[in-house]
Amino acid sequence: MQANGFRAFVLQRARTRHDNQFQIGMEFHRAIHFLNRIAMKKGRPASFLTLGLVTCVASAQPLALSEIEGRIHGVMPESHFEVLNNNCLKCHDSVEEEGGMNLEDISFTMDSIAAAESWQKVLNAVNSGEMPPKDEDQLSVVEKTEFLGDLSRQLVIARDALSDSGGVITMRRLNRREYENTIESLLGVKIDASDLPDDANPGGFDTNGSALFFSSDQFEQYLTLGRRALDLAMSTGKPRPIKKTRFEAEEIVPRELHRFTARLPKAFNPSALRDRFVAPDGLEIDYQEIGYGLKAENYRWLNHPAFFLHPDSHTGAPLFNYFYEFGLPNFNLPAQNEGQKFIFRTRIALLGENVPEHRRYIEFGPAPSGIKKGEMNVAGFRKVTGTMAEPEIIEFEFTPSDDSASIVRIRERHINSLNAAKLFFREHTQKTDRGPPATLWVDWVEWEGPFATAPPVQSNPNLFVPKAAGQSKTQHHRAILENFAKRAFRTKAPSAGFIDRLMALYEDDVADGVSPNEALKEQLSVVLASPGFLYLNEPTFGDEHRELTDQELAVRLSYFLWSAPPDETLERIAAKGKLHDASTLARQTHRLLNDPRADAFISGFTHQWLHMERLDFFQFSYEKYPRFDDSVKESARREIYETVKDTILASRPIGELLKSDHIVVNNLLAGYYGISGVDGEHFRRVPVPSHHPRGGLLGTAAVMAMGSDGERSSPVERGAWILRTLLNDAPPPAPANVPQLSRLADHVLSARDLQKLHQEEPQCAQCHRTIDPLGFGLENFNAVGHWREAEVFEQIIDDLTTGKSRKLKTPVSIPIDPSGTLPDGTPFHDWFEFRDRMAEQESAFARGFTEGLIEYALGRPFGFIDYNMADDIMARAQAQDYAMDQFILGVVLSKRFKLK
Amino acid sequence: MNPLTRRSFLGSATALIALPTLESIGFARLAKAAEIVKAPKRMVFLSMGWGVTKETWFPDRQQVGTNYELPQNLSPLAPYKDDITIIQNLQNQFSTEAHWGSTFWLTGANRYGVPGKSFNNTISADQVAAEQFGRDTRFTSLQLTGRKADGHGPGASLAWNRQGKPMAGLDTPVAAYHRLFSDDNTPLEHRQAQLKKRRSVLDGVIADARSVQKGLTATDVDKLDEYFQSIREIEIRLSKEEEWLEVPKRFPQDPVNEPEASLKGYEEIKMMYDLMIAAMQVDATRVFSYRMPTDSLIQSLGATITSHNMSHYVQGDRQDVSENRDQTHAKLLAYFIGKLKASKEIDGSSLYDNTAVTFGSNINSIHYLTNCPTLLTGGGAGVKHGRHLVMSDPKTPLCNLWLSLLNGSGVDIDSHGDSTGGLDELFV
Repeated sequence: MQANGFRAFVLQRARTRHDNQFQIGMEFHRAIHFLNRIAMKKGRPASFLTLGLVTCVASAQPLALSEIEGRIHGVMPESHFEVLNNNCLKCHDSVEEEGGMNLEDISFTMDSIAAAESWQKVLNAVNSGEMPPKDEDQLSVVEKTEFLGDLSRQLVIARDALSDSGGVITMRRLNRREYENTIESLLGVKIDASDLPDDANPGGFDTNGSALFFSSDQFEQYLTLGRRALDLAMSTGKPRPIKKTRFEAEEIVPRELHRFTARLPKAFNPSALRDRFVAPDGLEIDYQEIGYGLKAENYRWLNHPAFFLHPDSHTGAPLFNYFYEFGLPNFNLPAQNEGQKFIFRTRIALLGENVPEHRRYIEFGPAPSGIKKGEMNVAGFRKVTGTMAEPEIIEFEFTPSDDSASIVRIRERHINSLNAAKLFFREHTQKTDRGPPATLWVDWVEWEGPFATAPPVQSNPNLFVPKAAGQSKTQHHRAILENFAKRAFRTKAPSAGFIDRLMALYEDDVADGVSPNEALKEQLSVVLASPGFLYLNEPTFGDEHRELTDQELAVRLSYFLWSAPPDETLERIAAKGKLHDASTLARQTHRLLNDPRADAFISGFTHQWLHMERLDFFQFSYEKYPRFDDSVKESARREIYETVKDTILASRPIGELLKSDHIVVNNLLAGYYGISGVDGEHFRRVPVPSHHPRGGLLGTAAVMAMGSDGERSSPVERGAWILRTLLNDAPPPAPANVPQLSRLADHVLSARDLQKLHQEEPQCAQCHRTIDPLGFGLENFNAVGHWREAEVFEQIIDDLTTGKSRKLKTPVSIPIDPSGTLPDGTPFHDWFEFRDRMAEQESAFARGFTEGLIEYALGRPFGFIDYNMADDIMARAQAQDYAMDQFILGVVLSKRFKLK
Repeated sequence: MNPLTRRSFLGSATALIALPTLESIGFARLAKAAEIVKAPKRMVFLSMGWGVTKETWFPDRQQVGTNYELPQNLSPLAPYKDDITIIQNLQNQFSTEAHWGSTFWLTGANRYGVPGKSFNNTISADQVAAEQFGRDTRFTSLQLTGRKADGHGPGASLAWNRQGKPMAGLDTPVAAYHRLFSDDNTPLEHRQAQLKKRRSVLDGVIADARSVQKGLTATDVDKLDEYFQSIREIEIRLSKEEEWLEVPKRFPQDPVNEPEASLKGYEEIKMMYDLMIAAMQVDATRVFSYRMPTDSLIQSLGATITSHNMSHYVQGDRQDVSENRDQTHAKLLAYFIGKLKASKEIDGSSLYDNTAVTFGSNINSIHYLTNCPTLLTGGGAGVKHGRHLVMSDPKTPLCNLWLSLLNGSGVDIDSHGDSTGGLDELFV
């Protein structure tokens, strides 16, 4: 396969100055290679005899060869022959072969792993600056940039092509999300499977069967989890009495304060606190006098005076940050509550009329043992609207996820960190010698529960078949087991051998004195660790790309849109053999999409499609961004899902994700964006004026935060994200061994100027010349998505005495320059113009969405074989103005979705 | 009757157990084997994820051999300078993923080595050792890992099995403690019955697996084989448990408490080291790997940035964090060496003498994948310590090191991964 190697090129070059002939040769050659590869996969080598046929097949396909060429293999453009000739061959030819590297024979078509490896070595050597050697002729900057740019891109294509599975869908294990949903759908109970591997697949989706592994530890986890789910679902114990417990805030808060102050010096008398503090000149507390003693200063942060002096501390409790927090004391729920719901209520009000928007919220959630002091797992928030004249009652639910006693907390919403709360406190004491003023007032809190969330699963006759007349207990249990296994295996009947085996174990157990019900439960838990349950299997019996049965199609559809098994309706339609009917399938697709269970698809797919894992990569600096707390972050994440959902369900064009006249937000996020008049925690459409920075994915807090490092905005991350997700043109992965740019490390530079360094070195410029200018268009958004006109940061200088650099407190402000260029060179001058240009990229964006959907739905990487399918889906959606649901429908109605 | 069963009443998981020294129990296998004349060989692999601060971690390349100056970030290892070896110029030639510090560290595999697959891996060095060293111990090998794989790349621990599939790791000191030292107080007959039951569960699922297997494509059969492989592994584990049923789990000479669930970062790593030592003392296993946490380590040292941010250090805060991390690792490693040396084996040698420890990463620093940081200690493989070695070939395969350490520890193999030969320099 050296026909188009360097030697061949030289020969060609000698023959013709224009390379038409050569090009044709290359195309033909590539087609042969592609088909060869397919043939190799099928176990028979292609011979030249098949080539005639093969070319016919290729040309019979609607796909133009010119379109697929270059996708089949990575191909180094011939323009780089000169570079190789001038800079490499002196040492790396077939005579010298320095370092074992002979580039004379290197194939410019990267059609084998060996060829790709050779090019990888070339790339590594040039990237690292190892080659060409320092004392030899160097490539010009332009040559090097172009060479590296083409090589790294072509290598990505080559790797993709060489690892193309040829359309094979590997039998897939339920991923963690699917496992949890499947258990819930089967047994009606939610279990926490977070100990299982998370199945995140770098660079792909968690539905890709070939990347979902299985280990022996996992097997044992499935046994345990299945058993736990059955215990929960089959609990037959008497329901526990529902209790209601109320706490008056004016009692529990001082008690907690006293408990805390018990650690003060002995001379200090906690019970005297209130009397002491409630003095006419209360603001001038004499700490010595009330007994704080010499350590008084150390305890001032307790903020006692503020609490006890507050007029409303007699009827309730103002939420000061007593313990560096703005919370009520912890609420301990009794143990043994897994799967049982509790309802919390609190009577609460705003303290005064001028409470700033961001301080009108409470948040709540569990604080499990082992969590850091001052932190909790924020489960939700509520905005307080009640007034002191008319307090309101706020209600929320909490369902403990395990059996241990649960601690639940309620506090004013703030950054989930003790240090952040301390900082907030200090900032106030420095200014006023007192802690920050309270903004919320709580009258009382109560919890009520436990409420059972579902009736015992035995009462479901579909799962636990009732005893038939004349059946013995064992026969009945066998019938239950058989039916349960069939349900768990998604209507595939278990083998008789399997049921025999389990019944033998059942009888052993019973003989050993285990109760029949317990013995049955044991066997049911074995079913939940069996491959029939854990794998979505579609046997072919030799017919490799056979049509799926209706039942299998139902499973594929429901796992695509629900990450869960089919419901009864879908099963019924499948059982009747109607699901292959296109209009039925379309109707079912819409029904599934409109069901709340489709959230598994919306969030599961969107999270991976838009690479939202970055949102959790960083701890955001609370010093710089005190407003970007957990509730904002979760709402920001949710905003993306809700926006996608809204666009799909309303059948709106996908382009509205690039630019739109509305946003989809809740009250908290509206407040964060400075938009008023949005009440309630639910997400809904809110219109925005035409020249508003919000509207479209770019400009959402989540996407901007993903494009930062938690401290500063990163034009690189943002640009790369735009290329990857919006323009469907992913840049090659960050290369290894490129010398790091640190020349200006000690300079104060704007994020934009920092990136200019990338243009100096060809190794960087090859990609960054495309990436960075896109990111510049978003520089008006800071690391947490707030609008800014200037970038402000603290100066870092070298401390001459220690040799270490240190921060100077002087803030430096550099005005934002949001101008940049698109990859094709189109310039833009500001964010608004940039957004307009991005909105014009709808079809590229739609293509990326289509490819992602195919990958997610079929459970394998998007491959060469899918190009036609993607074209068809695109064409179909385009006819409907790229309505977002049409893409999903297109995937479901495609031929391939119905094939193994 | 086993004279030690009296101990089993002590075996509550949370009790603090102080026991007589190792020698008085002797090696548990004494019950079956003849007398032990020599302490067994052990191997430990420690991967830190991300890379080091290259400016201050590597010794000066001009100073090779014994006469070299220990760099600043390794200074806590000064008391053990004669017991460690630093090697430069090792790398995995196929590594191109700049954020994968562990995926191929012990395997040297080519991610793209198999056509039609976008990910491929091969057996890791620790598992090669486990195939031999694991035969005589209760646990074939012990995989430890931090909860997050920050800077380590794909994988479930450092270990990859014979099929190149990821092997799970215990991700908290509590989990490791329970695996190693939780003992069952139930009577022997009951435990035998339990074992029988667990076996029959396997028979049950295998019956289903066989019927699922019918009619699958070759790829799917291959996939399902992971399931069968897991069942086989559990069977081996159960056979071992049966073999060891009458031998109560033993407790180390230094008492080990059940670790706190909240241990994170520095304390977490230290506890994992303690548990490894304890496991060696009772000969629970002889092959250890630990994929160490980085985010939680630097955060336990007061950093507020993530390890990824740290890894892209430039002079200033981020480099300070990176150097502090390096020095803390050196301090923890010095602690580990100290404990290895202090633990006496039955033949009078120390754990240190019989253990080959490697500390390193597939990433040099930042995005560099050449010159993987590599630090050896322990006498298990016969390495002549106290030296700084710079391989003459800047692209010496890391697998040459694994081959040498495996050979040196008594594993008779000719090659590992992409090895081209042993590193003879280590032993002379």
